[in-house]
Amino acid sequence: MPEEPAYSSAEEPQLVEWAKAGDMQAFEELVSRHRDRAYVRAYSIMRNESLAVDLSQNAWVKAWQRLEQFHGEASFPTWLSRIVTNLCLDELRRQKRARTDSIEAMEESTGPVENRMEMETLDPIEGLGREELRERIDAALAKLSDKHRTVIVLYEFEQLEYREIAEKMGTSIGTVMSRLFYARKRLASLLKETLKRDGLIE
Amino acid sequence: MNENETELKVQALVDGELTGREAEDLHERLESDDGLRELHERLTAMRGLMTGAELPRTLPESGDFHWSQISKAIEREERQAKHMARPASGANWLLRWVLPLAGIACLVLVLSLQQTTMPDLDILLGSDHEIELSEDEIELMTFNTGDDAMSVVWLDYSIDLQQDSLQRWLD
Repeated sequence: MPEEPAYSSAEEPQLVEWAKAGDMQAFEELVSRHRDRAYVRAYSIMRNESLAVDLSQNAWVKAWQRLEQFHGEASFPTWLSRIVTNLCLDELRRQKRARTDSIEAMEESTGPVENRMEMETLDPIEGLGREELRERIDAALAKLSDKHRTVIVLYEFEQLEYREIAEKMGTSIGTVMSRLFYARKRLASLLKETLKRDGLIE
Repeated sequence: MNENETELKVQALVDGELTGREAEDLHERLESDDGLRELHERLTAMRGLMTGAELPRTLPESGDFHWSQISKAIEREERQAKHMARPASGANWLLRWVLPLAGIACLVLVLSLQQTTMPDLDILLGSDHEIELSEDEIELMTFNTGDDAMSVVWLDYSIDLQQDSLQRWLD
């Protein structure tokens, strides 16, 4: 009787090859290794636990169906993360279409005022651990609008270039630059506010 | 270049998206412009803060449950794909092939019956009816245009001749 492959100790490219050949157990091992990462990326964009679970789950289904298209140019988790991101952007577009025109108009009209904000100084913060800083950044990200948070996540976390973000978001590079600039200013302002409130900075 | 465009260029410089001559020009400008240099420093600090700042999270459901949902969804989609690719069942086959064929057969039958029950001269004179004429009953003219690479062929016969021919043909 042939010996069953040792999935848990197998290298990732090997697991991908087995999964491509239809081995569901190899794919299960890939899911087990990267499920949290897929969920984190979906949550970072959607800011909704159940939606993030559903979208990351859908991303795994799509990954299984499209495994043949994965040729290893990027790592498997990076490739998977792109699928998650695309599904999140589709969901945001669907939600946007469902919103009323008046809400959209209100959202757009706030742009010029926001653009006049100053970029806050954020010096290295003494006495604030990396983990706590991450939590504060996460809380600030939650307060950004979908479009500003998305552009930050795609640039800072997904590490896409301006051009790639523009393609994914269906907009111009200029708009991406503008949204990213505003999102950073707003993020810096929100962080400064919370750090001041807690007496961590003057 | 307005102020906003310059700020966006400073950001592009910090992000490594501005290269070549434009980047060099902006670096020179940063040396002499305190405001732009300050913005560059703030944006660089912000980038530093954001590096690796995505908060790690754990999936809020068990790994086994998550996998069971994924595997069920995969099986469901594969079943659907197979169903779409499967040959049509008996009832579908009837709807897809037999009924349209029966309809065409009925149409052909009706048209055939109509053909046999209309020996009316008016119908035979219809525009789609072919008329055979002998060569001496037709006047033929041709006209060639070299520029347009076109030939026009003009066939002429009198209506009396057509009527006579038809009468002979009908007899």
